[in-house]
Amino acid sequence: MNKTSIIALIMAILALVIFYQVSGEVSPYVNFTTAGATAEEGGKVKIVGQLVKEKPMVWEPTNDPNYFSFFLRDQEGLEQKVVLLQGKPQDFEMSEQIVLTGRMTEEHFLASEVQLKCPSKYKDEESFLKDISEG
Amino acid sequence: MDSINYIGEHLLPRQLGHFAILLSFVAALVSAVAYFMATQKRNQPLVAKGWNTLARGAFLTHGAAVFTAIGTIFYVMLNKYYEFQYVQAHVSEELQPRYVFSAFWEGQEGSFLLWMFWHVVLGTVILFTAKKWESPVLSVISSVQAVIGSMLLGVYIGFGDLAIKFGSNPLLLLREVFDAPIFKQADYVELLPQIAQGLNPSLQNYWMTIHPPTLFLGFASTVVPFAFAIAGLWTKDHKNWLRPALHWTLFSTAVLGTGILMGGAWAYEALNFGGYWAWDPVENTSLVPWIILVAGLHTNLIAKSTGQGIRATYIYYLLGFLLIVYSTFLTRSGILGDTSVHAFTEMGLESQLLFFLFFFIGMAVVALIWRWRGIPVPQKEEATSSKEFWMFIGSLTLLMSAVLITGATSLPVVNTIAEAIDPAWLPLALDDPEAHHNRFQLYIGVFIGLLSGFSQFLRWREKSGSFKWKPFLIHLSVAIVGALALTALTLTWIDARTIGYKILVFSGWFTVVSNLDYLISFARKDLKAAGSAVAHFGFGIMIIGIMASGPNQRVISKNTFLMEGLTADEELKRTTLLLFKDQPMAMENYRLQYTGDTLVDFTRTFFVDYEKLDADGQVTETFKLEPTVLYTREFDDIAITNPSTKRYWNKDIFTVIMSLPQEETSVQAKQEKEDSLKYRLHELYPGNNVSFYDTTQLSDLDTNFVDDYRLELLSFSRHAKHPDYIPEPNDLGISVDFRIQRSRNRRKPIVETGQAAIILRDGLLYQYPAQLNEINTRVKIDESIFDQLLVDENTLDYKEIKVKPGETFTVDGQEIFFASYDPKPEVDHYLPMKDDIAVGAQLVLKSEGEEDRMIEPIFVIRDKQAVRARDEDRELGIYANFVNLDPQTNIGTFFIAKAAPRPELNVPLAVATKSARADWISLQAIEFPGINLFWAGSILMLFGLALSMIFRLMQKRSMRVVQ
Repeated sequence: MNKTSIIALIMAILALVIFYQVSGEVSPYVNFTTAGATAEEGGKVKIVGQLVKEKPMVWEPTNDPNYFSFFLRDQEGLEQKVVLLQGKPQDFEMSEQIVLTGRMTEEHFLASEVQLKCPSKYKDEESFLKDISEG
Repeated sequence: MDSINYIGEHLLPRQLGHFAILLSFVAALVSAVAYFMATQKRNQPLVAKGWNTLARGAFLTHGAAVFTAIGTIFYVMLNKYYEFQYVQAHVSEELQPRYVFSAFWEGQEGSFLLWMFWHVVLGTVILFTAKKWESPVLSVISSVQAVIGSMLLGVYIGFGDLAIKFGSNPLLLLREVFDAPIFKQADYVELLPQIAQGLNPSLQNYWMTIHPPTLFLGFASTVVPFAFAIAGLWTKDHKNWLRPALHWTLFSTAVLGTGILMGGAWAYEALNFGGYWAWDPVENTSLVPWIILVAGLHTNLIAKSTGQGIRATYIYYLLGFLLIVYSTFLTRSGILGDTSVHAFTEMGLESQLLFFLFFFIGMAVVALIWRWRGIPVPQKEEATSSKEFWMFIGSLTLLMSAVLITGATSLPVVNTIAEAIDPAWLPLALDDPEAHHNRFQLYIGVFIGLLSGFSQFLRWREKSGSFKWKPFLIHLSVAIVGALALTALTLTWIDARTIGYKILVFSGWFTVVSNLDYLISFARKDLKAAGSAVAHFGFGIMIIGIMASGPNQRVISKNTFLMEGLTADEELKRTTLLLFKDQPMAMENYRLQYTGDTLVDFTRTFFVDYEKLDADGQVTETFKLEPTVLYTREFDDIAITNPSTKRYWNKDIFTVIMSLPQEETSVQAKQEKEDSLKYRLHELYPGNNVSFYDTTQLSDLDTNFVDDYRLELLSFSRHAKHPDYIPEPNDLGISVDFRIQRSRNRRKPIVETGQAAIILRDGLLYQYPAQLNEINTRVKIDESIFDQLLVDENTLDYKEIKVKPGETFTVDGQEIFFASYDPKPEVDHYLPMKDDIAVGAQLVLKSEGEEDRMIEPIFVIRDKQAVRARDEDRELGIYANFVNLDPQTNIGTFFIAKAAPRPELNVPLAVATKSARADWISLQAIEFPGINLFWAGSILMLFGLALSMIFRLMQKRSMRVVQ
């Protein structure tokens, strides 16, 4: 066997090992029900949902600037309290979709990271034009 | 449909621009085809010459058309023709001319044009320098131009509902893009300036002026190695393309690297995520082609020196550009969705982008398969002790790194495809992308570090038997010993938590030491090698910089509020700190104090004092940081926060505002807060006081406090005194000083004093309330005070009087004695401003059986204009203006009127309890040690690449001279 083949073999094995490793770090987005199940294993999960605008949002920076709670409706329609370990993100109310990383505790979902999907600029522009024409 | 004759539209640039865009597309097609024919007929010089001439003409026409289209867009942007959709979306009245470039490439269309612009520039250079490679290379580049150009066409092909939109034309009029009632008005153009969107404030930054053009030059330059690779395969000349391709790839890696680095610098300086690299998909997809091209660079060197690795070089160079196209697809098709902060918005070009990607993948794959067997491969394998062997391993390691990053970044693509096949597919995501990338790239870094150290001392085409161990081992030992010593030293400074980090630090130093050794021992004699030594030296320094500033960064702003049940990792996320104004907060070895802020235009700058403390709590150093927030044009939101950084040679202290009180984030919120306050009016004479009660409910508890307040008006002033008040000419202001005390539950009363002002400026009222934070109370002067205070000038019957000091006169029965001029008037009703020339006239009002009273109207010359400050005696009803002064005769001119007496001012004070304090900021402060090593190292690495290119080009020229 020549060297090139040996190297190719080593690379292939490495690639497999890495692929196996990475597959452990990838997980599907969950909902609150499945998040509860994974919580027992202590792992972090990602959850997607929408802000429940009718329910209270609590952010009192003078009490704790790194505590923000709100209610999220997951893709199954289940509503659950979420505690985010950060201040309230900018334009939070305008978000169309929220992706949270964290874990389920007994009382709430404890999120350490948040990503917002906000409406695109072009939609903005259109509604803006409509506003100005009607107004 | 009725056609409307619109007023005020500029149709000429629209027609010109459309023509230029169409022409550029057609000319690119012609050029691609003609160059294709010129290449095919290369064995028939005369025919080829004809095709070549046509192709050149077409390419240069294409270039001129691209320049015209760009020029037209700049023209409409600079002139603010808002009827153009692109102008409306990216320009606004406030846009400063220096940001017009940023506005141009903010949109997809502009950035496509920027990309095409660089292709034209590079293509023109190739046209004049590439000789026999001109035709095949420019045929490929022209085809790329045609594909990109098609995305700007903006034409519909087909009929009715089946019409397919081709491209998005940047020179469409707004009314051609949107259908809105506003376009029924013939003069709609006049309404547009007020609704123009303008440039996203986060892009109004000097980095945004230099980062995109550099990055796009980097992007554009990757097409050259790609085109040379296709040309090599096409013409079956597998050796000669290697040389020009190497030069172009050195150029490409240097420029693309600079573009990426500038992106990091921009992120660090202007964005708030606290760092220069976030493994964001957009960052990743521009890094990956760079890595691939660097890998290709190495196999290219091998191929040139030994004839090995030509196939690998083809693959890398083809991949480099394809990955750029893939990156374009990811960032512009909207497929990344919520995983990236800087993805462009979707604009319906997905299918065209896919065509772009698959057309060139197809071209590369077909060319490779077609010619694969013909690509020369030397019979003999490289020896394990040869330089080429280890460089090849290095290039494979880089490939591995690129595959890993691409794989992780492509998860959204995987999800989209899987969802299309299986609707029940649950989208996958990396749990923690940053940790994932760091973990794998760490080992790649170690490996690359070691390889780029020792392989410098190996020789090309080394035979297995003839390897000289002695010099190699000497250099190796120098590197190992030097690196160990430096690693030990580094670890006393930075905290490399895991063994992996320690090894990476060692590997970084290993490269640094061996390349320094190499530079001294060999590179003096061979300038080409100097470029390589500098680049690898820089790489090593960069690695150490990353290790020092990344895992070793220290959050200064540790959260001071306790929360139970958190893991250590979660606690680390709580990095925001609350600072009340003028209340120092000590943490770690710093004491922070927020001292104030200013608002200039839309930028609010906060001043945060840092005091560095030693172990005994003594202040060793003080400095001030000034993070800012930028409000939107309507002040209805915060558009972006910009950090502020204190730089040392060995570390940076980074501070960014994380949040502000709600009422400071928008004018609406401020108004809502003001409206929610329940003010109660209390009318007071100076020196008087009033008492009142209020109840406060403690949150969550059924406990009520009955608070006893006592408000005392200390003094009243006929000019504005308030810490936030900045005087302007012609302001009419008044202010009060007061004292307020609150007693709760028999505890010791809290006493505070405050100052409130109200200003009448150009017919508008401005309130300067006093916020008393200890008792959550806000006090302002009610505007009804002006009803008492103001006397309509028109109702006063002024008499003109000219007198000298010492004279006595009478106005409507009031005897007045003009006592003297006052060259330095210090009176309550006049607030001196800078450069004022002011003279007062002291007038004594005499009444029988009563004490004399004095008023002092002021005559002021302000900005070369005469203004006056009226004085009055309300009880006597005397209003006096001092309107002129003749220095020759010493005679003063006065307008004096007598009106009905008015009662003493009864100052209405509005008091709201339960007004929460709003004088705080929450911020994040991070210490980045050794970040300058990162910058210096990466700059050196890119400099090394550029150096290599320059030396090689110089050498080429000198060789030609020798021949």
